[in-house]
Amino acid sequence: MLTIDELRARIAAAGVPIPEHRLSMVHKLLGDALAPLRRVDSRKVRPLEPAVTFDAAGPHRGVANE
Amino acid sequence: MSDAVHYTTIRELGASYRKREISPVEVTRALLARIEKLDPALHAFVTPTPDRALADARAAEDALKRGDTRPLLGIPIGHKDIYLTRGIRTTGGSALFADWIPYAESTVVRRWAEAGTIMMGKLITHEFAFGIQLPGHRFPAAKNPWHPDHIPGGSSSGSGAALSAGLVHGATGSDTGGSIRGPAAFCGITGLKPTYGRCSRAGVMTLSWTLDHTGPMARTAEDCAYLLQGMAGHDAADPASSTRPVDDYVAALGGSVRGLRVGVPRNYFFEDADADVVRGFEDALGVLRTLGAEVRDLTIPSIDLSRSFFLILVTEAFAYHEQDLRTRPELYGEMLRERIMTGALVTASEYVQAQRVRMQICADVAEAMKSVDVLATPTAPKPATPFKVACDPELAFPRSNMPPFNLTGQPTLALPCGFAGSGLPVSMQLAGRAFEETTVLRLGHAYQQSTDWHTRRPPV
Repeated sequence: MLTIDELRARIAAAGVPIPEHRLSMVHKLLGDALAPLRRVDSRKVRPLEPAVTFDAAGPHRGVANE
Repeated sequence: MSDAVHYTTIRELGASYRKREISPVEVTRALLARIEKLDPALHAFVTPTPDRALADARAAEDALKRGDTRPLLGIPIGHKDIYLTRGIRTTGGSALFADWIPYAESTVVRRWAEAGTIMMGKLITHEFAFGIQLPGHRFPAAKNPWHPDHIPGGSSSGSGAALSAGLVHGATGSDTGGSIRGPAAFCGITGLKPTYGRCSRAGVMTLSWTLDHTGPMARTAEDCAYLLQGMAGHDAADPASSTRPVDDYVAALGGSVRGLRVGVPRNYFFEDADADVVRGFEDALGVLRTLGAEVRDLTIPSIDLSRSFFLILVTEAFAYHEQDLRTRPELYGEMLRERIMTGALVTASEYVQAQRVRMQICADVAEAMKSVDVLATPTAPKPATPFKVACDPELAFPRSNMPPFNLTGQPTLALPCGFAGSGLPVSMQLAGRAFEETTVLRLGHAYQQSTDWHTRRPPV
C-alpha cells in the first residue's frame, strides 16, 4: 500500500512539480500499478534472466524524429 | 452516387474502380463533402488535406487507366496525428507541436502512399497518445458517432470516429495500452494491434518504447488484412522491427476455422464487466462454435499482475518527455502532465521488477497457448463511458482488458460483437501467437461473414 507520505517523499526526491489538487490522482495511479508488484516475491519470479535485455551486436543506430 | 460508397469495403471499392463503375476522384469528392458536413461536430480530423487527397486521387485514376491492380490503389485513408507526414502539420494532439510541419515522414505513411492510397488528412489523437483532451485543450476531442456525449476511445480517437462515420476507409492507429482496440470497441469498428515489431514505428511519436505498436484500423477484419499488407515488414529505422518474412494476410482469410482452438481466460478479463458486454461476448463464442472452433475455458495465473504495465508505460514516457516537461510544462495538457510525471516517481528497481513480472506473464501466456491457437476476451469490460466520467481525475485510468497483450506483444484483433442496451457497441478481442496475424484475421473474418455487427452504422 502506497501511503500519501511515501508519495510526497517520492515527489520531493524526483523534483517534479505535482500540484496538491492532483495528489489524489497520482496516488491512485501509482498505488494501483505498484499493488500487484508488491504482492509478488521478487525472488520467485521465474522467467529467464535478465528480463531487461541488451544485445552487444546492435543495432545501435539512433532514430531521430526528423 | 449512393451513400453506400462511404461504407464499402476496400475489396469492393477496388473492384468498382477496376470495373469503371466509379472513380477515385468521385469517391474523394464525395468523402470531402461528407467530412465538411459531419466533421465540424465530430472533430475526427485535426488537419484535413483536401488538396493532397485530390492529387492522390488523380494519380490513382491515372494508374488505374494504366491497368494498375494494387489492392490499396485509390483507397481513402487518414493518419493518426502522431505519424509524421512530410510537409503536413503533425501535432501529436499537443500544444507543443501545434504548428510543427515535419520534413521527415514515417515509414508507414510512406508505405501506404507507395501502395496508392489517398490521404484525406490527419486524425486527432489524445495528446501524445496518452492524455485526455479536457475542455479548453488546444485541440477539441473527437466525439463518438454513436453518441456524442460518450468518448470514442483513445488514443486513436479520430481514427475510430472517422471510420465509424464513413469519412475514410482505413486509418493508422497506435496501441500502447489499447489505443487501437479501445476506439475500435467504442466506435463499433475493427482494429488490429499487430505483433510487436511487425509494423515500423519509425517516424511515429513515442509513448513507451517497449509497449508501442503501430497498426491498421478499418471497419472489417478483411480491410485490416489489406491495410496490414501495405504496412508490415522490416524497417531498419526501427530497432524493434522484425526481419521475419511478411505473410499473405489477404490470402489467409479464405482458410477454414474448423478445429481452431479458442481459449477463454476466465480470470481478470471479466472483472467489473457489464452484463451487456458479457452477453455479446458469450453470443460471439456461440458463433465461433457454430463455425467449427473448439472453445474452452482456461486460467492464466499471472495475468492478474497486468496492472503493473502502467509502471513501464509511465517510466518510459517520462524518460521521453522529461526535458520538455521540466522546461515547458505549460504546453502539456492538465492531467497528462501529472500522469507522465508519475513516471518520475517509479524507482529503477520497480521498473526492472515490472519488466521481470512482464516476462512471467509472457511465459504463462505462452504456456496457455500450447493448448489453444487464439485467446478470446471482451475487448473492454464496459461500453464507451460519458466524457464527464472519462475526464474525472479520480477515475482517470480504469482497469482495462487490453494492456496484457501490449505486455506480451501478441497480435490482437478487436471487432464488434453486439450492442449494449444504451445503443453503444460492444467488442471482443482475439489474440494469437506472435507473428500469427493470419490466424486472428482469419477467425475475425469468418465471424464477420456470419454476423452483421460490423455493418451497423451510427446515426450521423
